Amino acid sequence: MAGAIASAIYQGLIRRNAVFLTAIFSSAFAFEIAYDSASNRIWDAMNRGRQWKDIKYQYMVKDEEDDE
Amino acid sequence: MSLSSASSTLLRACARQQLPTSRAAIASCQQRRGVADASKSSFESPFTSAKESSTYKIPDFSKYASKKPPRSNQVFSYFMAGSLGLASAVGAKATVQDFLVNMSASADVLAQAKVEIGLATIPEGKNVIIKWRGKPVFIRHRTQDEINEANSIEWQTLRDPQADEDRVQKPEWLVMLGVCTHLGCVPIGESGDFGGWFCPCHGSHYDISGRIRKGPAPLNLEVPQYSFPDEDTLIIG
Repeated sequence: MAGAIASAIYQGLIRRNAVFLTAIFSSAFAFEIAYDSASNRIWDAMNRGRQWKDIKYQYMVKDEEDDE
Repeated sequence: MSLSSASSTLLRACARQQLPTSRAAIASCQQRRGVADASKSSFESPFTSAKESSTYKIPDFSKYASKKPPRSNQVFSYFMAGSLGLASAVGAKATVQDFLVNMSASADVLAQAKVEIGLATIPEGKNVIIKWRGKPVFIRHRTQDEINEANSIEWQTLRDPQADEDRVQKPEWLVMLGVCTHLGCVPIGESGDFGGWFCPCHGSHYDISGRIRKGPAPLNLEVPQYSFPDEDTLIIG
Protein backbone atom coordinates (compact mmCIF):
# COMPACT_ATOMS: atom_id res chain seq x y z
CA MET A 1 0.00 0.00 0.00
CA ALA A 2 2.71 2.43 1.07
CA GLY A 3 4.76 1.25 -1.85
CA ALA A 4 1.90 1.95 -4.24
CA ILE A 5 1.52 5.50 -2.93
CA ALA A 6 5.27 6.04 -3.06
CA SER A 7 5.54 4.83 -6.63
CA ALA A 8 2.56 6.98 -7.63
CA ILE A 9 4.26 10.03 -6.13
CA TYR A 10 7.51 9.07 -7.82
CA GLN A 11 5.93 8.59 -11.22
CA GLY A 12 3.79 11.70 -11.03
CA LEU A 13 6.04 14.19 -9.35
CA ILE A 14 9.68 13.26 -9.08
CA ARG A 15 10.51 11.33 -12.22
CA ARG A 16 10.64 14.38 -14.48
CA ASN A 17 12.91 17.06 -13.10
CA ALA A 18 10.88 19.86 -14.64
CA VAL A 19 7.77 18.65 -12.86
CA PHE A 20 9.72 18.26 -9.62
CA LEU A 21 11.14 21.78 -9.78
CA THR A 22 7.78 23.26 -10.73
CA ALA A 23 6.23 21.50 -7.77
CA ILE A 24 8.95 22.83 -5.47
CA PHE A 25 8.54 26.44 -6.58
CA SER A 26 4.75 26.42 -6.67
CA SER A 27 4.63 24.89 -3.21
CA ALA A 28 7.16 27.50 -2.06
CA PHE A 29 4.73 30.16 -3.31
CA ALA A 30 1.80 28.55 -1.52
CA PHE A 31 3.86 28.00 1.61
CA GLU A 32 4.89 31.62 1.73
CA ILE A 33 1.29 32.84 1.51
CA ALA A 34 0.18 30.40 4.17
CA TYR A 35 3.12 31.22 6.44
CA ASP A 36 2.65 34.97 6.10
CA SER A 37 -1.07 34.92 6.75
CA ALA A 38 -0.66 32.56 9.68
CA SER A 39 2.04 34.67 11.29
CA ASN A 40 0.01 37.83 10.70
CA ARG A 41 -2.96 36.21 12.35
CA ILE A 42 -0.83 35.22 15.35
CA TRP A 43 0.57 38.74 15.58
CA ASP A 44 -2.89 40.30 15.43
CA ALA A 45 -4.14 37.90 18.08
CA MET A 46 -1.25 38.77 20.39
CA ASN A 47 -1.74 42.52 19.90
CA ARG A 48 -5.51 42.64 19.83
CA GLY A 49 -6.87 46.05 20.80
CA ARG A 50 -3.52 47.77 20.52
CA GLN A 51 -3.21 48.34 16.80
CA TRP A 52 -4.49 51.29 14.82
CA LYS A 53 -6.93 49.16 12.86
CA ASP A 54 -8.47 48.00 16.15
CA ILE A 55 -9.00 51.47 17.63
CA LYS A 56 -9.57 53.30 14.36
CA TYR A 57 -13.37 53.15 14.61
CA GLN A 58 -13.41 55.24 17.81
CA TYR A 59 -11.73 58.17 16.10
CA MET A 60 -13.68 57.75 12.89
CA VAL A 61 -16.98 57.93 14.78
CA LYS A 62 -15.76 61.00 16.66
CA ASP A 63 -14.84 62.73 13.39
CA GLU A 64 -18.30 62.16 12.00
CA GLU A 65 -19.90 63.53 15.16
CA ASP A 66 -17.71 66.65 14.88
CA ASP A 67 -18.79 67.14 11.30
CA GLU A 68 -22.44 66.99 12.31
CA MET B 1 80.60 14.11 30.99
CA SER B 2 81.56 10.75 32.30
CA LEU B 3 78.17 10.37 33.91
CA SER B 4 76.26 11.08 30.74
CA SER B 5 78.38 8.65 28.70
CA ALA B 6 77.81 6.00 31.31
CA SER B 7 74.05 6.51 31.28
CA SER B 8 73.94 6.37 27.49
CA THR B 9 75.84 3.06 27.37
CA LEU B 10 73.48 1.68 29.97
CA LEU B 11 70.46 2.71 27.92
CA ARG B 12 71.92 1.17 24.80
CA ALA B 13 72.50 -2.08 26.63
CA CYS B 14 68.94 -2.09 27.91
CA ALA B 15 67.58 -1.60 24.42
CA ARG B 16 69.65 -4.45 23.08
CA GLN B 17 68.40 -6.69 25.82
CA GLN B 18 64.76 -5.68 25.56
CA LEU B 19 64.35 -6.07 21.82
CA PRO B 20 64.73 -9.84 21.62
CA THR B 21 62.42 -10.38 24.58
CA SER B 22 59.61 -8.29 23.11
CA ARG B 23 59.96 -10.12 19.81
CA ALA B 24 59.61 -13.38 21.60
CA ALA B 25 56.47 -12.13 23.36
CA ILE B 26 54.81 -11.17 20.07
CA ALA B 27 55.73 -14.50 18.53
CA SER B 28 54.21 -16.37 21.46
CA CYS B 29 51.05 -14.26 21.16
CA GLN B 30 50.69 -15.14 17.50
CA GLN B 31 51.25 -18.74 18.26
CA ARG B 32 48.60 -18.70 20.93
CA ARG B 33 46.01 -17.10 18.60
CA GLY B 34 46.80 -19.63 15.90
CA VAL B 35 46.20 -22.40 18.36
CA ALA B 36 42.84 -20.87 19.38
CA ASP B 37 41.69 -20.62 15.74
CA ALA B 38 42.70 -24.16 15.09
CA SER B 39 40.72 -25.37 18.06
CA LYS B 40 37.57 -23.56 16.88
CA SER B 41 38.21 -24.59 13.25
CA SER B 42 36.42 -21.54 11.78
CA PHE B 43 36.07 -17.82 12.37
CA GLU B 44 32.66 -16.94 13.72
CA SER B 45 31.57 -13.57 12.35
CA PRO B 46 29.19 -11.64 14.57
CA PHE B 47 27.23 -10.52 11.47
CA THR B 48 26.46 -13.81 9.86
CA SER B 49 23.38 -15.67 10.84
CA ALA B 50 23.94 -19.23 11.91
CA LYS B 51 22.23 -20.95 8.98
CA GLU B 52 24.36 -19.22 6.35
CA SER B 53 27.70 -20.87 5.92
CA SER B 54 29.59 -19.21 3.15
CA THR B 55 33.30 -19.51 2.69
CA TYR B 56 33.42 -15.76 2.08
CA LYS B 57 33.11 -13.92 5.34
CA ILE B 58 30.80 -11.11 4.22
CA PRO B 59 29.17 -9.26 7.09
CA ASP B 60 25.42 -9.52 7.07
CA PHE B 61 23.75 -6.12 7.26
CA SER B 62 20.20 -7.37 6.78
CA LYS B 63 19.44 -6.37 10.37
CA TYR B 64 20.00 -2.76 9.33
CA ALA B 65 18.35 -2.89 5.92
CA SER B 66 15.05 -1.12 5.41
CA LYS B 67 11.95 -3.27 5.48
CA LYS B 68 10.04 -0.76 3.34
CA PRO B 69 9.96 -0.97 -0.46
CA PRO B 70 12.94 0.79 -2.06
CA ARG B 71 10.72 3.26 -3.90
CA SER B 72 9.32 4.73 -0.70
CA ASN B 73 12.83 5.31 0.66
CA GLN B 74 13.71 7.02 -2.60
CA VAL B 75 10.59 9.18 -2.43
CA PHE B 76 11.47 10.14 1.14
CA SER B 77 14.96 11.25 0.09
CA TYR B 78 13.58 13.28 -2.79
CA PHE B 79 10.95 14.77 -0.50
CA MET B 80 13.62 15.96 1.93
CA ALA B 81 15.71 17.43 -0.89
CA GLY B 82 12.63 19.16 -2.30
CA SER B 83 11.71 20.55 1.11
CA LEU B 84 15.18 22.01 1.44
CA GLY B 85 14.71 23.59 -1.99
CA LEU B 86 11.35 24.99 -0.93
CA ALA B 87 12.75 26.47 2.27
CA SER B 88 15.72 28.03 0.52
CA ALA B 89 13.51 29.47 -2.24
CA VAL B 90 11.26 31.14 0.34
CA GLY B 91 14.25 32.38 2.33
CA ALA B 92 16.01 33.80 -0.73
CA LYS B 93 12.84 35.54 -1.87
CA ALA B 94 12.27 37.05 1.58
CA THR B 95 15.87 38.28 1.79
CA VAL B 96 15.78 39.94 -1.62
CA GLN B 97 12.37 41.44 -0.89
CA ASP B 98 13.54 42.90 2.42
CA PHE B 99 16.46 44.62 0.72
CA LEU B 100 14.23 46.04 -2.03
CA VAL B 101 11.53 47.22 0.39
CA ASN B 102 14.25 48.88 2.45
CA MET B 103 15.24 50.90 -0.60
CA SER B 104 11.73 52.07 -1.51
CA ALA B 105 10.24 55.30 -0.19
CA SER B 106 8.63 55.25 3.24
CA ALA B 107 4.97 56.07 3.85
CA ASP B 108 5.54 59.62 5.12
CA VAL B 109 7.59 60.48 2.04
CA LEU B 110 4.93 59.03 -0.25
CA ALA B 111 2.24 60.98 1.59
CA GLN B 112 4.04 64.25 0.83
CA ALA B 113 4.88 63.33 -2.74
CA LYS B 114 1.52 64.36 -4.20
CA VAL B 115 -0.53 67.50 -3.70
CA GLU B 116 -4.14 67.91 -4.73
CA ILE B 117 -5.53 71.34 -5.48
CA GLY B 118 -9.09 72.43 -6.12
CA LEU B 119 -9.04 74.71 -9.13
CA ALA B 120 -12.53 76.15 -8.66
CA THR B 121 -11.24 78.57 -6.03
CA ILE B 122 -8.64 80.16 -8.32
CA PRO B 123 -10.15 83.02 -10.32
CA GLU B 124 -8.97 83.91 -13.77
CA GLY B 125 -5.84 86.03 -13.89
CA LYS B 126 -4.65 85.06 -10.42
CA ASN B 127 -1.56 83.33 -9.13
CA VAL B 128 -1.53 80.70 -6.41
CA ILE B 129 1.63 79.50 -4.72
CA ILE B 130 1.54 76.13 -3.00
CA LYS B 131 4.25 74.08 -1.36
CA TRP B 132 5.13 70.76 -2.93
CA ARG B 133 8.07 68.62 -1.81
CA GLY B 134 9.50 71.60 0.05
CA LYS B 135 9.44 73.81 -3.02
CA PRO B 136 6.98 76.50 -4.11
CA VAL B 137 4.79 75.75 -7.11
CA PHE B 138 3.19 78.53 -9.12
CA ILE B 139 -0.27 77.93 -10.52
CA ARG B 140 -1.67 80.65 -12.73
CA HIS B 141 -5.14 80.75 -14.15
CA ARG B 142 -4.32 82.54 -17.38
CA THR B 143 -6.70 84.77 -19.24
CA GLN B 144 -7.30 84.35 -22.96
CA ASP B 145 -5.21 87.46 -23.65
CA GLU B 146 -2.27 85.98 -21.75
CA ILE B 147 -2.57 82.69 -23.64
CA ASN B 148 -2.58 84.57 -26.93
CA GLU B 149 0.42 86.60 -25.81
CA ALA B 150 2.34 83.45 -24.81
CA ASN B 151 1.59 81.85 -28.18
CA SER B 152 2.36 84.93 -30.27
CA ILE B 153 6.02 85.09 -29.26
CA GLU B 154 8.58 83.67 -31.69
CA TRP B 155 9.90 81.11 -29.25
CA GLN B 156 12.60 79.80 -31.59
CA THR B 157 14.71 82.88 -30.88
CA LEU B 158 14.52 82.61 -27.09
CA ARG B 159 17.40 81.59 -24.84
CA ASP B 160 15.70 78.31 -23.89
CA PRO B 161 13.43 77.78 -26.90
CA GLN B 162 10.20 76.08 -25.90
CA ALA B 163 6.68 76.47 -27.27
CA ASP B 164 3.88 77.40 -24.88
CA GLU B 165 1.89 74.24 -25.70
CA ASP B 166 4.88 72.14 -24.61
CA ARG B 167 4.79 73.80 -21.19
CA VAL B 168 1.09 73.46 -20.38
CA GLN B 169 -1.47 70.65 -20.55
CA LYS B 170 -4.42 73.02 -20.56
CA PRO B 171 -3.60 76.49 -21.87
CA GLU B 172 -5.53 78.27 -19.09
CA TRP B 173 -3.57 76.51 -16.34
CA LEU B 174 0.14 77.21 -16.06
CA VAL B 175 1.83 75.02 -13.46
CA MET B 176 5.54 75.35 -12.75
CA LEU B 177 8.12 75.19 -10.00
CA GLY B 178 8.69 78.58 -8.40
CA VAL B 179 12.45 78.25 -8.25
CA CYS B 180 14.57 80.57 -10.35
CA THR B 181 16.82 78.53 -12.61
CA HIS B 182 19.69 80.90 -11.92
CA LEU B 183 20.46 80.42 -8.23
CA GLY B 184 17.18 79.17 -6.76
CA CYS B 185 15.40 82.26 -5.49
CA VAL B 186 11.62 82.43 -5.60
CA PRO B 187 10.49 84.83 -8.35
CA ILE B 188 7.75 87.39 -7.73
CA GLY B 189 4.56 87.00 -9.73
CA GLU B 190 2.86 89.54 -11.98
CA SER B 191 5.96 91.65 -12.32
CA GLY B 192 8.95 92.05 -14.57
CA ASP B 193 9.29 93.47 -18.06
CA PHE B 194 7.29 90.68 -19.72
CA GLY B 195 4.21 90.50 -17.51
CA GLY B 196 5.18 87.23 -15.88
CA TRP B 197 7.65 86.62 -13.06
CA PHE B 198 10.61 88.58 -11.86
CA CYS B 199 13.42 87.24 -9.72
CA PRO B 200 14.56 89.94 -7.27
CA CYS B 201 17.92 88.31 -6.52
CA HIS B 202 19.67 88.92 -9.82
CA GLY B 203 16.98 90.37 -12.06
CA SER B 204 15.76 87.51 -14.24
CA HIS B 205 12.57 88.24 -16.15
CA TYR B 206 10.18 85.41 -17.06
CA ASP B 207 7.22 85.82 -19.39
CA ILE B 208 3.63 84.66 -18.93
CA SER B 209 4.64 81.14 -19.93
CA GLY B 210 7.51 81.02 -17.42
CA ARG B 211 10.19 81.27 -20.12
CA ILE B 212 13.39 83.17 -19.42
CA ARG B 213 13.49 86.41 -21.41
CA LYS B 214 16.02 88.65 -19.72
CA GLY B 215 18.63 88.37 -16.99
CA PRO B 216 21.15 85.75 -15.90
CA ALA B 217 18.92 82.64 -15.63
CA PRO B 218 19.81 80.01 -18.25
CA LEU B 219 16.57 77.99 -18.43
CA ASN B 220 12.82 78.38 -18.31
CA LEU B 221 11.00 77.74 -15.04
CA GLU B 222 10.71 73.98 -14.58
CA VAL B 223 7.36 72.29 -15.15
CA PRO B 224 6.60 69.45 -12.69
CA GLN B 225 4.60 66.32 -13.46
CA TYR B 226 0.92 67.04 -12.95
CA SER B 227 -2.45 65.81 -14.11
CA PHE B 228 -6.09 66.81 -14.11
CA PRO B 229 -8.11 63.83 -12.83
CA ASP B 230 -11.30 65.83 -13.38
CA GLU B 231 -12.34 69.31 -14.38
CA ASP B 232 -11.78 71.04 -11.04
CA THR B 233 -8.83 69.27 -9.49
CA LEU B 234 -5.14 69.30 -10.15
CA ILE B 235 -2.68 66.74 -8.79
CA ILE B 236 0.98 67.66 -8.74
CA GLY B 237 3.40 64.74 -8.45
